[in-house]
Amino acid sequence: MNDFNIEKLNEHVDALLDGLEPPLDADTLRLSELEDVAKELSLLPRPEFRASLWENLASSSEQRAFSNAGSARPSGASSGQHDVVIPPLFSSSSLTFPMRGSHLAVSFGLHVAALALITASGLWVVQNRAVVRSTVAQLIPVDHDYVMPIVPGKTGGGGGGGGDHDKMDASHGTAPRFAAEQLTPPLAVVRNEHPALPAEPTLVGPPDIVLPQSDRMGDPMANILNPPSNGTGSGGGIGSGEGGGIGSGRGPGIGEGYGGGIGGGVYRVGGGVSAPRPIYDPDPEYSEEARKAKFQGIVLLTAVIGPDGRPRDLRVARSLGMGLDQKAIDAVGKWRFKPGMRNEKPVSVLVSIEVSFRLY
Amino acid sequence: MKAIVHETDERRLIEAAQCDPDRFAEVYEANFARVYAYVARRVPVREEAEDVTAEVFQQALAGLGRFEWQGTPFIAWLLGIAAHLVARRWKRAAGKEEVPVDELELAVNQEHAERQTLFSQLIERLPEDQRRVIEARFFRHRSIREIAQEMGRSEGAIKQLQFRALGTLRDQVGNRHE
Repeated sequence: MNDFNIEKLNEHVDALLDGLEPPLDADTLRLSELEDVAKELSLLPRPEFRASLWENLASSSEQRAFSNAGSARPSGASSGQHDVVIPPLFSSSSLTFPMRGSHLAVSFGLHVAALALITASGLWVVQNRAVVRSTVAQLIPVDHDYVMPIVPGKTGGGGGGGGDHDKMDASHGTAPRFAAEQLTPPLAVVRNEHPALPAEPTLVGPPDIVLPQSDRMGDPMANILNPPSNGTGSGGGIGSGEGGGIGSGRGPGIGEGYGGGIGGGVYRVGGGVSAPRPIYDPDPEYSEEARKAKFQGIVLLTAVIGPDGRPRDLRVARSLGMGLDQKAIDAVGKWRFKPGMRNEKPVSVLVSIEVSFRLY
Repeated sequence: MKAIVHETDERRLIEAAQCDPDRFAEVYEANFARVYAYVARRVPVREEAEDVTAEVFQQALAGLGRFEWQGTPFIAWLLGIAAHLVARRWKRAAGKEEVPVDELELAVNQEHAERQTLFSQLIERLPEDQRRVIEARFFRHRSIREIAQEMGRSEGAIKQLQFRALGTLRDQVGNRHE
């Protein structure tokens, strides 16, 4: 050992620690073994690095919802440093997990959308709660005349029926016009497409009564749309009755009863006919116009509640205006009823429905 | 037989760590030196080598649940991650998540890891003043003058201590390999 070598070695160590190649000279070979040692020392991990890395791993482990991550420290780990390292959101450090921008953007978008949805649903509920509280609807006894397409004095009487022994019930359709006499009964299924003497099918009844017409002939009260059927009755016509009419009666008319004209019809509550009872009655909405004007009042509707519990022939018996009439009709049209009963059979019943619009 | 026992123990350890991350401490202890040695040979700057090593273990901890035992040592999986990170650092990424490490490379790396561990142990056994000089010089990058001021000695004395320490380490490492 001499001072020259000590100085030379130190120069080489300086160069090594500065990331430079030690200078080559005659003494290099003599010092090479010590330089190799120095080079290895310069790459040894710092003693504190091993411990600090474990601290980071332990905290990462804790963040993964694993418990007791810190309880099993390796022998080189010290507990004097920070116990929990929370990776910064936008960090690019190798000690934290990488942050992916696309994932962050998608997550942000989903959260914003969810927040908007929640907020909007709250507004919707608030707006509609006012409407729900503002309307009252109730069934009331009929105390006025109701115009039905029924021949005066024929309610519950007259009627007709028919059919051609089909296995299927009669199909739905419209009835032909009324005429004083019948040359050809109505048919949903035409058996003879080339008759020797073609004639217009008609029903026997008052010719001044105009019934709805369409291309499809059938029983207006039937539920079956397809396949077309003349029904299980007999004597021509459509339905389960007999005699060339439409329906379950007898004769060339339409509906229950016999003798032509219109049979069956609509009952009213009382006299053995029970009132229909609403089983599904969503509240009507307030019209925007009436809401802004703070307009209140009652709309009186009339309706026929059919044997199927559905309201039809909804009409305004007492108007309120401001768009509330239509709102009342729209709402009641969605209602469903337990139908009125007569002789333990559901029948069509005429009712009045009072819809009250109020702002509280 | 010993290799089989070692493999069984290692497999049990890995499976335990997959179920209970507390056990990852043992995995870390068993593999730190080898991972660092592998990285340090390819990234010959200590700070960068430490960064890459840290990332290797972070990724290993994150992906431990996906590791499937297929007969190769666990260190091969860790060094595969290290190789990928080193390649990425030098912008030579091959597009693979893991780079295969062959048995020869594993053996060479094991030798380097053992040598580094040996150096660490020998530094601890140096005389107090020599150890302080080596730690200040090589771990904290202090200059001779700074060390001299810290220890209250002359710069010449510090250079002499450095020279002696390196010589001692050389001799002791040489003796271990003979």
